[in-house]
Amino acid sequence: MSTPDLHDLPIAEAGQQLRDGSLTSQRLTRHLLDRMATLEPSLHSFVLVTEERAMADATRADAELAAGTDRGPMHGIPYALKDIYDTAGIRTTCHSKLLIENIPAKDSVVAGKLAGAGGVLLGKLATHEFALGGPSFDLPFPPARNPWNTDHITGGSSSGSGAAVAARLVRTAMGSDTGGSIRGPAAYCGTVGLKPTYGLVSRRGVFPLSYTLDHCGPLSASVEDAAITTEIIAGFDASDPASADRPAPNLRKGLRDGVAGLRIGVPRNLYKDAEGLAPATVAALDRMANDLAAAGAVVQEIALPDYALFNACGRVILIAEAYAIHEDNLRSRPLDFGELLLMRMAVGATISAADYIQAQRLRRELSEAVNRVALRQCDLLLTACALGPAPRFADYPADRPGPMHIQTMPFNVTGNPALSMPAGFSDTGLPLSAQLVARPFEEALLLRAGYAVEQIVAAWDTPRSPALLAEAA
Amino acid sequence: MDPSPEERDAELDLLLRRGGLTIPPERYPAILLGYREIQAMMPLLRGPRTAASEPAGTYVLDTVTRERAA
Repeated sequence: MSTPDLHDLPIAEAGQQLRDGSLTSQRLTRHLLDRMATLEPSLHSFVLVTEERAMADATRADAELAAGTDRGPMHGIPYALKDIYDTAGIRTTCHSKLLIENIPAKDSVVAGKLAGAGGVLLGKLATHEFALGGPSFDLPFPPARNPWNTDHITGGSSSGSGAAVAARLVRTAMGSDTGGSIRGPAAYCGTVGLKPTYGLVSRRGVFPLSYTLDHCGPLSASVEDAAITTEIIAGFDASDPASADRPAPNLRKGLRDGVAGLRIGVPRNLYKDAEGLAPATVAALDRMANDLAAAGAVVQEIALPDYALFNACGRVILIAEAYAIHEDNLRSRPLDFGELLLMRMAVGATISAADYIQAQRLRRELSEAVNRVALRQCDLLLTACALGPAPRFADYPADRPGPMHIQTMPFNVTGNPALSMPAGFSDTGLPLSAQLVARPFEEALLLRAGYAVEQIVAAWDTPRSPALLAEAA
Repeated sequence: MDPSPEERDAELDLLLRRGGLTIPPERYPAILLGYREIQAMMPLLRGPRTAASEPAGTYVLDTVTRERAA
């Protein structure tokens, strides 16, 4: 394979070539670093490129593989981390002036697992400030731009993760998801985004936004890449109070088993009257439901509680918990926060203890409706993710938080695993998306359905590349 | 409806003051808008609940003690 195609190599194929000697990690890493030098001036997906560390990781991986030491599927594979994941000795800023000189002493658990698996850290990725405030132009780093059209936002808060994966600067990157911060950027940038079950992946060493809603997970170029990444980062961690003591999942074994016989529920009531819903998104969801049925799934319409209930519940919990985390700095250094974060977070001062507790009570009932009712009638849900393609920066008001036309919050509230999948393109050439949801800890089934959707959507259209990549070629 | 630049809300002012927050005047209208959005959601949180909806799960003793045991 010629050098220009290296960035398109799926992780499993790159791993095979690393093992048969036709590729080295150093060559792959160098190729991606060179690619970054070309694309990053337009993309701004990285806030820090760890070139020296990357080449050292790659050199070590090549030596180990040559010596017969095999650390598994990520050995020698480049990846990147959202800049809220602590990295020992490497600056971790949360894209904020407040932490601009923060150099953690220890790796986050996820960063440690990826490093221990022999991965090659290319750098730290842009985020909305503290995973909430953005896209903003008053922060220490510019906002990431959408590779499909750089006039458009990436979604957030894992904005750099979405942009870097879509531009194939890495095949997989870590994000975090509190109200949709993995699935939103995945949807807008046309990548796969997995929010695992609450408790499957350790959050220790990842700067919190909202303790009971935060999830760590990957944005990846394919379902298989997401499965490989998640297998490595999943697992019990006693130092994370939310961590679930369960065996690590095998996510690749049944990936290609198809959807025949699976019962898939479509909760149209959740999205059909939503503000910002694009007709193209509805058409893509309907087509996907039909194609899944043709592939043998039993697709049926089901009803969930109103989206407004999930949204109110999630937003009150998120803002209350985030305010508690940032309270000291909001009082003492308000002007060191970006404008958008301050505006979103200050509302936390107005939420009462009773409001928060009522939200947590409602949360249990919403979770019951999803898990004890809907996901007993069916095995998976198929619903909207982003309601339309990525908006333009110019359409975002400068003086207030912009509208969020994504429907991801319900599954932060319930904690179910949820997967954002590419679902074709708008007439303006921007990615559309769909969302699959499974029962808690059924990531294997979720990814199996995601793999089937990936094959279905691939047949809809000829393969496309983001506009930025064509310009750079 | 968007608040005007001059509009104030006495209850919001009180809550911000009680929270010890100093808000630049130019950022106040957006915070007022966010405050009103959140307040409009509050009735949705309140309804008849079953005993099963009590949120004791926010405190699980095992998660405090297990790290030491691990």
